[in-house]
Amino acid sequence: MKVLSSINNTYESYQKLISFYNANKDKLFDDIHIELRQWFSANMSAALGAVLDLLAGHINDIYFDYIAPDTEKVLLKNEFLSYYGKQRIFDTNHTTIKYQKLKPSDGKYFKKYVIEELIGRNELPNMSVALKEKMVEAIYEIFVNAQIHSETDFIYTCGQFFPTKNKIEFTIVDTGVGFKEKVNQRFGVNLSAEKAIEWAVKDRNTTKENISGGIGLAVLREFIGMNKGKMQIVSNDGFYEYDRNGIKTNSFTGTFPGTIVNLQFCTNDFNNYSLKDEIDIDDIF
Amino acid sequence: MESTTINIVNIIGDAYGVEADDGQKVYELIKKSIDGGHKVTLSFLNIEMLTTAFLNTAIGQLYKDYTEEQIKDHLQVTDISESGKVALKRVVETAKLFYKDPDALKRSIDDIIDDD
Repeated sequence: MKVLSSINNTYESYQKLISFYNANKDKLFDDIHIELRQWFSANMSAALGAVLDLLAGHINDIYFDYIAPDTEKVLLKNEFLSYYGKQRIFDTNHTTIKYQKLKPSDGKYFKKYVIEELIGRNELPNMSVALKEKMVEAIYEIFVNAQIHSETDFIYTCGQFFPTKNKIEFTIVDTGVGFKEKVNQRFGVNLSAEKAIEWAVKDRNTTKENISGGIGLAVLREFIGMNKGKMQIVSNDGFYEYDRNGIKTNSFTGTFPGTIVNLQFCTNDFNNYSLKDEIDIDDIF
Repeated sequence: MESTTINIVNIIGDAYGVEADDGQKVYELIKKSIDGGHKVTLSFLNIEMLTTAFLNTAIGQLYKDYTEEQIKDHLQVTDISESGKVALKRVVETAKLFYKDPDALKRSIDDIIDDD
């Protein structure tokens, strides 16, 4: 299998990526050929980059045999293809959010990335400062989750602005221990990946043993609800999606070797996120 | 009781209080101060971003070491943003429950198994 066709953020798209990985994962000292046909959503560079890194880790050479011209342009602008021997091009439309591959210990570098690629961008004049802050907080909660829980070698991120649709899509991927293994190990149970994700997203549920937590994903879900955005989690063979239509879960054929968190934010959200004096500072503890 | 001020921005060397490891540094200082009989003022001045992961380690885990009353008597926060206050309140409420009822998480796992 070498063709990835029409990849965006649907369940079917994630399934195609998982099938591609599983068809190639046992190769060693081999060539891996890939074709990106029809379209390929820019933010999915994070997921593809993670998969290709794992395959390259088995001393396989990666070859892009064909990339649809429009897709190629975007993947050159967001610098994804510069990791595969191609010259990057300047993004004159300012709609890409750079593909980035970081070690979990590179928190400071992630901050620079977030400021340059999200907070400091003025392509989205509609967004209030408070909304931008909420969005960045949400992204940070996911990044930090990957740092704490996944034991991954790298964290992969990428995003894309959609100015006419008033949306930002942002994806964070790790290739570490997924939700299922983490939850099952901690509690000595045998939950499916779907159930493990569902459990972890609920408020106050955490696998940490001596420190309370489990708030980050719950806060994220509440924000996504208010913002009318969307969150998707792909971990092992589990799929979880939350948006205005509620929660959808499903399972995949084959397993993703880690976790993908994909977030979609609405930029034309006029909710008032600047809270004032709701909590008395002397009544916190 | 003597009092001391802990400036988070100085302890973590950053305006972003986001990583759990940075929270751990703050926690250790607060603990040392309280154990030494000091009152602590925890200053969030110039902190621009907070995550609950940071607040869990910095403050939440104090509830495993001290009672609510001890924490109320020994710790106060200043210069925290409105959104920071909301996050901190939530972290604190979660921590109280977590250390009071350690079996709650196991029960939540049983509940999700029973859902099937």
